[in-house]
Amino acid sequence: MAHATPQGVKLLNGFKRPGRFEKGLGAQLPEAYKKFWREWKLTKPAAVHYIPKESEWERDEVTNAIKPVQSIPFPLIDTPESHQGIWGGEAVIKGFQKRESTKRRVPHFWVPTLRRSVVHSQVLNEYMSVVVTERTLEQIHECHGFDHYLLKNLACDLRSALALKLKRKILKSLQMGCPALSAEPKHQSEVLKEYSPYLASYTSEEIDWYGHTYLEAIHKLQDQLRAAEKVIPHKVEFRSKLIERLREAGIAEAGKKDPRDSVSHGDHSDADIDALTKLESSTPSSSWLSKINPFGKKET
Amino acid sequence: MLKNLCTTQLYLLKGANNLKQQVRTTFVLKRKYEPLLHKTNEKPRRLRAKHFIYELVEDTQVKKRPNMEVVLKTFVEGVGDKGDVVSMKPHFVYNKLLLPGLATYKTPENIVKYSKTEAEKSAVQHSSAYAQRTVNMLESIVLAVIMNKDEPWVLEPWHIKASLRKAGFHCKEECIKLPSERIEGPDLRKENKEFSCIITINKLEQATLKCRIHHWSTDPSERLPYVLEHWKLPAEPLLESSQNEAPTSNVQKPIVK
Repeated sequence: MAHATPQGVKLLNGFKRPGRFEKGLGAQLPEAYKKFWREWKLTKPAAVHYIPKESEWERDEVTNAIKPVQSIPFPLIDTPESHQGIWGGEAVIKGFQKRESTKRRVPHFWVPTLRRSVVHSQVLNEYMSVVVTERTLEQIHECHGFDHYLLKNLACDLRSALALKLKRKILKSLQMGCPALSAEPKHQSEVLKEYSPYLASYTSEEIDWYGHTYLEAIHKLQDQLRAAEKVIPHKVEFRSKLIERLREAGIAEAGKKDPRDSVSHGDHSDADIDALTKLESSTPSSSWLSKINPFGKKET
Repeated sequence: MLKNLCTTQLYLLKGANNLKQQVRTTFVLKRKYEPLLHKTNEKPRRLRAKHFIYELVEDTQVKKRPNMEVVLKTFVEGVGDKGDVVSMKPHFVYNKLLLPGLATYKTPENIVKYSKTEAEKSAVQHSSAYAQRTVNMLESIVLAVIMNKDEPWVLEPWHIKASLRKAGFHCKEECIKLPSERIEGPDLRKENKEFSCIITINKLEQATLKCRIHHWSTDPSERLPYVLEHWKLPAEPLLESSQNEAPTSNVQKPIVK
């Protein structure tokens, strides 16, 4: 029975719902994008909103019983606004507060304090006004610069579409040798020397696919597919075939045979079309009847 | 109340103990009720509403931030000279030094790169980082030099020194250079006339100080009528030669007492 299903023998362990990379266009996404996805969504981010427990076991304070540490993470909410700014790994936490022991719990949202500040990218040679948190600025200082902060941290720790987009831009710019700093060659070489070690962990395809959201990646893939299969309209194809046949028949108006034409039959030059239209128009109409257009606008 | 206070402090202490490396964020939370243990290599149990009750361990937003150390790339007024490692508040450092490109982060390479060369050391341009601030302060004020209306006098550096002291500046007589012309009094034609003298700071920086002569009598009935905010009004130059040097401006800052 199992062999007859599309999942084959795998069905024996239960039906598995196809994921986003197993159906539709998602299945065609390259490995480079899947690698980024794993870094972004499937890696455990650094502890931000909680104090991580390092030990594997802990002793109960009251009973002194030893029990394993099973730290279950808090659900964090990434709002659309968090993707428009750079929050440095912070997110909104939805939960309850128990303010008094005799009172019912109250819902509460812990939202990071946001402020607008300027960040400076050396590689892009640009100052940007972005919404940041205090943590972002501290991390920038810790990494000794905005570029270092973006390049050092994983996608799961950046936690913002804007930061990932900037990271891709910076990586691309580094690959091209910092074209933004071409006015100062000495400074450019210094910057390249400082940041080029980060390029070692990416191939050029990975950089190309880095930092896209799933929908953006699908759109990028669609554009690539469309560009790859160039559809020639039948009109063009048949017309060039007809011209070819006319030439073979030795009709002078079909034009001379082009060496370029023999290579690609699908192509047709404007000269051919001109010649053909001349051919059509040059045939003398014997009757006035041919000048009447029965579908033309009525003159009243 | 007391109990609550104690518990929060306890949590803070616990957090400090557990914290191996500093976790910096806005809110650090912990669960009030830990969920029950689940089997290893199995999915965790379904969380109940009470497992989403969180307690605040620490809010680092309200904590005082330590100073930041940076290396200056150029001379910065009021901060330091080129190559200096200065330690200041992080927001000031980021907004006023790092973003304008006056300083970089403190790394061994940067300290070597921006340290002063011998040629730069020998060519002293600034006596101190704060001297230019004093110059700016001195040049922004209009000094009222109050002289006697009854007794004859000749203007000397110690008059300027005393007037400066009244305005909140302390300087030695050697630093004050008066105009070469002799200024004598009492002369009511010289009332509210402006002249400029030069103050030398740390034997290097020079500030041009605008001074105006005012007459004052010990007898209250002899005193001149008080003019409200006279330092903001335009004044004529006292000396012909100094006319070009010290053009009078209409609006001046009042003297800081």
